[in-house]
Amino acid sequence: MEGMTRREILGTLGVLGAAAATGAVTVGVPGPATAQQPQFGQQESVQDAMKRLFGARPIKDAGGLVKLDVPLIAENGAVVPVSVEAQSPMTPQNHVKGIYIVADKNRIPVVTHVALSPEAGAAFMGANIRLGETTDLRAIVEQSDGTLLQVKREVKVTVGGCGG
Amino acid sequence: MQDVGKVRVRVPSTIKAGEVVRARTLVIHPMERIERDAKGQVIQKKYNYITKLTATYLGKQVAVFDTTQSVSENPFFAFAFRATDPGQLKVTFIDTHGGKYEGTADIRFS
Repeated sequence: MEGMTRREILGTLGVLGAAAATGAVTVGVPGPATAQQPQFGQQESVQDAMKRLFGARPIKDAGGLVKLDVPLIAENGAVVPVSVEAQSPMTPQNHVKGIYIVADKNRIPVVTHVALSPEAGAAFMGANIRLGETTDLRAIVEQSDGTLLQVKREVKVTVGGCGG
Repeated sequence: MQDVGKVRVRVPSTIKAGEVVRARTLVIHPMERIERDAKGQVIQKKYNYITKLTATYLGKQVAVFDTTQSVSENPFFAFAFRATDPGQLKVTFIDTHGGKYEGTADIRFS
């Protein structure tokens, strides 16, 4: 902030305020650059989220193809380590295109989505996520031919981590 | 909050050419969660959280994470990539307030 006059600082704050005001109207709606992609970060029910992301596409049970690694009991919902590993040759013809992590009872159920390219060499992702309460956690793997595979696990949460 | 935007990228210390390597990355970021007032109404404001993480290796994208407020504070992510040549692994985080945070790791073969 050195070298800035009081007037300049106030001016900058005003601009930020205006940006925040417009942002409030478009919460969860990304800019035009990402308009064609599925939108994330909305507060909605898990049914709505699944419908929005996958439409009527059938979701198969992954069986042993996808491994979802998450603690059975998460003592602190604010930080829950989760990792997903799918068996895939990861060739340009046959690879895992994306992995979704969905927490059914979170207010924002779609936790994260990762888009993978064949260069990744392995269909693997890990993240630390928040869980509001004891919930089913789903990992949905999208393969390059459009097949969707799902693994579902219940996670017991002792202290919720999503706040209000 | 001095450290906001500090990115750490970790790769295994020994990597063989052609090996599939797991990289781990972390950024110091508040990842503001949705706040509610006394009536339980969501306070409308522009929350500051990471929306995107892009990992590139030798200029090619290997993994792109789209993230939401359901991701922890100081988010940690892991992903895999095939180490074909020595070069740079670059991770870029973008938040809703226009912040862009970058971290790199040099891939060397032993």
